[in-house]
Amino acid sequence: MMGLHIPAEFFRSLLAGMVVNFEIAAIALLIGLAFGGLLALGRLGGGAVGAVATTLIGLMRAAPTFVVMFFLLNIIPRDATLFGVGISPSPLMIVALSLVPYSASYVADNGVESLKQLRAGSPLGALQFLPNVTRAFFVLVMSSSAGAAIGVTEGIAVILREAVLLPALGDKLVLFAIGILFFGAALQAGFALMRLLQRHLGRLAMRNQAIP
Amino acid sequence: MRVWRTVLLALAGVLGSIVATVPLVANAETPDAALAKLTEDARAEAAVPGACAAPQLDRLLRMFCESRLRAGVREYYPLFGTREGETRSGYDVDVARALAKHFGVEPAFTRVNAATRVPLLADDRIDIILATMGHNTQRDGQVRFIRPHYYQSETTVVGPRAIAIKGWPDVAGRTICVTVGNGSNAQIVSHNVRLMLFDEAGVLPERLKDETCTLAAQDDSFFAYYFTQPEFAKNYEQKFGFAQVPWGMAVARTGSDRLARALDLTSQIFHRDGVFLGIARANRVGTGFLERQQAVWNRPECNTDTGSTNPACVLPALDADLQPTPFAGRVTAVEDWIEARTGVDFSLPMFKTMPAWSLFKDGIVNSLILVAGALAATLLFAMVLGGLQSSRRFLLRWPARAGTIVLQSSPVVLTLVIAAAVAQAIFPYSSAVAIGAAIVALGLMNGSNAGQAIAEAMHTLRTERGSVQGTGGIPTTELFGRAVSRSATQIVSFLINAAKGTPIASFIGAPELLSALTDITSFASGRATTYTLLLVFYVAVVVVVVWLCGRFRSWLEHRQAAA
Repeated sequence: MMGLHIPAEFFRSLLAGMVVNFEIAAIALLIGLAFGGLLALGRLGGGAVGAVATTLIGLMRAAPTFVVMFFLLNIIPRDATLFGVGISPSPLMIVALSLVPYSASYVADNGVESLKQLRAGSPLGALQFLPNVTRAFFVLVMSSSAGAAIGVTEGIAVILREAVLLPALGDKLVLFAIGILFFGAALQAGFALMRLLQRHLGRLAMRNQAIP
Repeated sequence: MRVWRTVLLALAGVLGSIVATVPLVANAETPDAALAKLTEDARAEAAVPGACAAPQLDRLLRMFCESRLRAGVREYYPLFGTREGETRSGYDVDVARALAKHFGVEPAFTRVNAATRVPLLADDRIDIILATMGHNTQRDGQVRFIRPHYYQSETTVVGPRAIAIKGWPDVAGRTICVTVGNGSNAQIVSHNVRLMLFDEAGVLPERLKDETCTLAAQDDSFFAYYFTQPEFAKNYEQKFGFAQVPWGMAVARTGSDRLARALDLTSQIFHRDGVFLGIARANRVGTGFLERQQAVWNRPECNTDTGSTNPACVLPALDADLQPTPFAGRVTAVEDWIEARTGVDFSLPMFKTMPAWSLFKDGIVNSLILVAGALAATLLFAMVLGGLQSSRRFLLRWPARAGTIVLQSSPVVLTLVIAAAVAQAIFPYSSAVAIGAAIVALGLMNGSNAGQAIAEAMHTLRTERGSVQGTGGIPTTELFGRAVSRSATQIVSFLINAAKGTPIASFIGAPELLSALTDITSFASGRATTYTLLLVFYVAVVVVVVWLCGRFRSWLEHRQAAA
C-alpha cells in the first residue's frame, strides 16, 4: 500500500469513462422519455390501449437491466440490416437500450401523475416531473456501470482494469474508494441540482399563490 | 512317458509360435516400400488408356491422371495459410507443396475457411483439407483423417505480462474472452471462470490491447502470429495451455481409400525424416509436438507400414462428444415440431447434453438462493442500519449515515466487486463465496436505502410524539416497529430492487442462471432462445417477488393501522 502509485493517465481515463456513463444515461433517458410519454398517454386513455400500456409498464418495471442487456447483446445479429442499412447496435448503445425499460416505466409512472396534476389545474404539481426525471438520470448514470460486463469502457471498467494490476487488497480498496469519490461527487452534485430545481419550483408556486 | 509328452507339446507350441510369427515379420515393410508399391500401382493403372475416364475413380488415381493435388488451404490464418496477391505461404501451404512434390504432381490451391472446408471436400472440389482442422470425434463422421496428425495445437490463455497467472487456480473468478463455439469453452467454465463471448477470434488481440479483455483464450496457433510482433510480445505472454488438439489432414470418406493410405504413409515418413519439422521451422511455428513425433516415428514398432494404425504410435482424436440427456431425443422432436409449424429456429441446448443440463439446473437453484438471500439480507441490513441511524448516540448514528452515503455513491458493479475482493481475501474462491459476497453487497446497497427510510420514519414519529419515547440510545422496540410499518412502501420498493439486481451477481462469478446460460451458449447453439428464456425466467421471478412484497406491505400497513 505504501508503494501505491496511480498514474495521472488513470484519472484522465476515469473522467473519460464517466463521460461515457453520462452519455449512456442521456441516451437511455431520451428514448425513455419518448417511449414512456407514449405509454403514459396510452394508460390515461383507458380502454384496450390503456390495458396494454399498463401491462407493458408492469413488465418493463419487472425486467432486470443486466438480463435485458445480455438479451439484447445475444438476440440482435451482428450483421442486422434494415433497408440495407446496418442497425446492429454498438455495445454502448446496447447498455443504453437495456436501461430503457427502467427509464420508460419510470417516465410513464411519473408522466401519468404529472398529467393528472395538469388536468386537475396544477401546472406546478405537474412540473415536479422535472426533478423526478433528474433523479432518474442519476440512477441511470450509476446503473450504466453494468456496461463493464460487456466491454464498454465506462468509468467502472477503467477502475477495474487498474485494479487488476494491483496485487494487494489494500491498494485495490484505495482505488475503489477513489472511484466511489468520483461517482459520489457526480451523484451528490446531481441531487443538489435536483433540490435546487425543486426549490425553484416551490418559489414559483408561492409567487403564483400570492397573485390574486 | 507323460513327462516326455508334455515336453514335446511345449516344443510344438514354441515352434508353432515361431512359424506363426515369421510371416508377420516377413510382411512388415517400411512405410517407404509400402508407399512406393502403392503409388507405382496407381501410376500404372492411371497410364492404362481409358482408365482416367472410368467412373468412381479413386482420388489417388485421379491425382496421377490430372497430375495435380487439389488442396483446400486457408488464406487468412497467419503463419499457417496466408495469401498476398498470387503468393501463398504458411505451414499448411508448404506441407501441401511437399506432399505434391513427393507424389510428383503439382499442387492446386483452393481457398477454404472453417465453415467451407468440409462441404468443399464433400462436393469433390478439393482432394485434401490442409486448413488448421482439429481432429475430434464429431468430425470423424464427416471426413477421413490422415494418421499420423501433421500438427497439434492447444488452447492458450494470453494476458498482460504484469499479471501473475500460472494455472487454473489463478483464473478462478476472472473473466476470459473467448469465441463462441470454441471446443475448450466447456473446460474453461468448469474452473469457475467467467466468459466474455466474441463471434470472431480476430478481434481478441484488439480487445486485449484496448483492455476490454484482461485475458483471452484461443488456439496457440492463432496467437503465434501476434507473438512474432515485437509490440505484442513485449506486453503479453502465454500464461498456460490446455486442451491439446491434434490437427489432421483430411480426405473424403468415400472414393479416397487409396489416397488416404498413401497420405498416411507419407505423413509417417515426413515425421520420421523431419520434413514436417523443417517446414515448421521455416514458417516460425511451434515445433515441440513435431520434435516429439519425430522420435515416435523413428521407433522400430512405429516405422512400419502398419504404424499409422498402431494405437501405441498414433494419437487419439479429441473426444468432443458431450453426453446427451436421457430426454435429448424428445427435446429435438419438440424443436423440430416448433420449427416446422412456425419457421422459427427454436433451440433448447440446456436440455440436450448432460453438462448443459447440469449447469442449467444449478443456475436456477443458485438464482433462487440469491433472490431469497438478497431479500433476507436487505431486510436485515434495513433493520440494523435503520436502527443505528435512528439512534440518539452520535457515535452510532453518524457512522451509519456515512456508510449509507458511501453505499449510495457507489455504482452497483463497484460495490459487488469490493464485496468479492474482500470475501476472496478471507476465503478461497468458490461459487458459494461468490454467491455469499453478492448477497451481502445487494443487501447492503438496498438495505442502506431502506434503513434510511426507516430512520426518516422514526424522525417523523418522534416529532409527532414530542420525543417522549425512546429517549437516549437506541429507540424502543415499539416505536421502531411503527417506523418500519410507516416506511413499508420504501422497504418493499428496495426489496424488489434487490431481487431485480441479483443477475448482476454473475459479474463476480456467482453461478446463477445468467452465468450458467452464458456458459452453455459458449459451447452450444441457440443463443436467441436461451436468452429469451432467461429474460422470461427473471421477469417471472420479479413478478412473484412483487406479489409477495405486496402481501408483506399489506401486513405492515395493517399493523400500523392497528397501532
